[in-house]
Amino acid sequence: MNALQPSPLELRLSAYIDGQANDEERHDIEELLVNDPQARSLHDALKRGADIGRHALDDMLKEPVPLDLVRAIKNAPLPRKAVRLPQAPRPNFAFKPSAPQFFGVCLALFLIGGGVGYMVGTHAIVPDPLRISAPSASNRDWLDDIVAHYRLYSRQTNHLTEIPAEQTADILEWLTTNTGVSFRIPDLSASGLTFQGARLFAAGGVPVGQLVYRRTDADGDPDVIAITFTKTRPEGNRSVEEIRNDTGLVTWVSPLATYMIVGPSSAADLDDIAAKVAGLI
Amino acid sequence: MNQPSPTTDIRRDLVALLPRLRRFALTLAGNGGEADELVREATARAIQKSHHWRGEGRIENWLFSLIRTTWTDELKKRRRNDREAALQPDPDSRRASGPVLSLPEGLASAILLTDIEGFTYTEAAAILGITTELLSTRLCAARLSLVAAGSETSERRA
Repeated sequence: MNALQPSPLELRLSAYIDGQANDEERHDIEELLVNDPQARSLHDALKRGADIGRHALDDMLKEPVPLDLVRAIKNAPLPRKAVRLPQAPRPNFAFKPSAPQFFGVCLALFLIGGGVGYMVGTHAIVPDPLRISAPSASNRDWLDDIVAHYRLYSRQTNHLTEIPAEQTADILEWLTTNTGVSFRIPDLSASGLTFQGARLFAAGGVPVGQLVYRRTDADGDPDVIAITFTKTRPEGNRSVEEIRNDTGLVTWVSPLATYMIVGPSSAADLDDIAAKVAGLI
Repeated sequence: MNQPSPTTDIRRDLVALLPRLRRFALTLAGNGGEADELVREATARAIQKSHHWRGEGRIENWLFSLIRTTWTDELKKRRRNDREAALQPDPDSRRASGPVLSLPEGLASAILLTDIEGFTYTEAAAILGITTELLSTRLCAARLSLVAAGSETSERRA
């Protein structure tokens, strides 16, 4: 047997040991183990190999951990302050009622409450079957849709974008018309990112524009970073940095749109890119 | 397994998991010195990015992924610095000790993540950035190599 290129039978037996075989496959292998001494011997060998590995790896845990590593972690500085991203302006409510206004509102509420109470008291309450059967609001929010799109397209090589980077005018017209957001295509070459093109899709029921960049790494690093924007401000949206499904998200809002940087969770500079984009887009 | 809340100081979790993180780093780097540097770099990254961790799933998935991506970055950096050396790796650069660390590259991590750390094939493949088919092949190859090495040792002793 060549250990580095296992035979199909060895692969099947190895997967069987890990419970990865389906019912039919498991049945076949169990039959094989009863009738074929060579398969039985291979099966035993694989289990023995797993035991040797387990024993050796367990022993590795007994090695003392260098104290300087522990100290380095314990004394490591806490995360630097998050980059301050632009926030949507908060509406100013200068609500300072005078005494007559206060008593006027109290009286109006009393009269409305009394009126409603009278009407409810004089009419039989009929249950509303529609209300009872109304489906509950979906927990899935627009960020899930953004992440799903990112995970779907970020691994594409030939179909990464809908409109390629060369057609700048087409991108600007297509996304501005459909999302209602005016934007510029930021030059992020200083962050090692090359513009690849753009894409339009729907997330949370609203049109979303996406500008797609790729790392210009000499070794072909496959990191794809996307700037996403939409005109609407989805409910509960705020500036956030989070990781969902191994995908990093940095979101911020402006008075005109909601923006988001999407990238692999391992990319350490998403917040820096977001800060740059906020000034350039 | 640990499922810390996002407000928990990640440094405590890192210290608690340190022996396991170091063992994983050893399977990647092959020797203690490089493994310690790798863990130092990856844990620093984890602390810097800890506000991204929302406490969903196993923190080990995230930490092992960070260690692997840090190691990949390190290898790329080395290749950039010395392309020739990377094409012809120094045989002494991986001072292997013990049956697992002397396995060909990639096999030790596969067997650690699945047989010891208990990750599914899909999770382990995602951590290592490879397909589940390749993970399955590496795992099988690791078991066969270990049993072959065990037999050779027994024969030599005999």
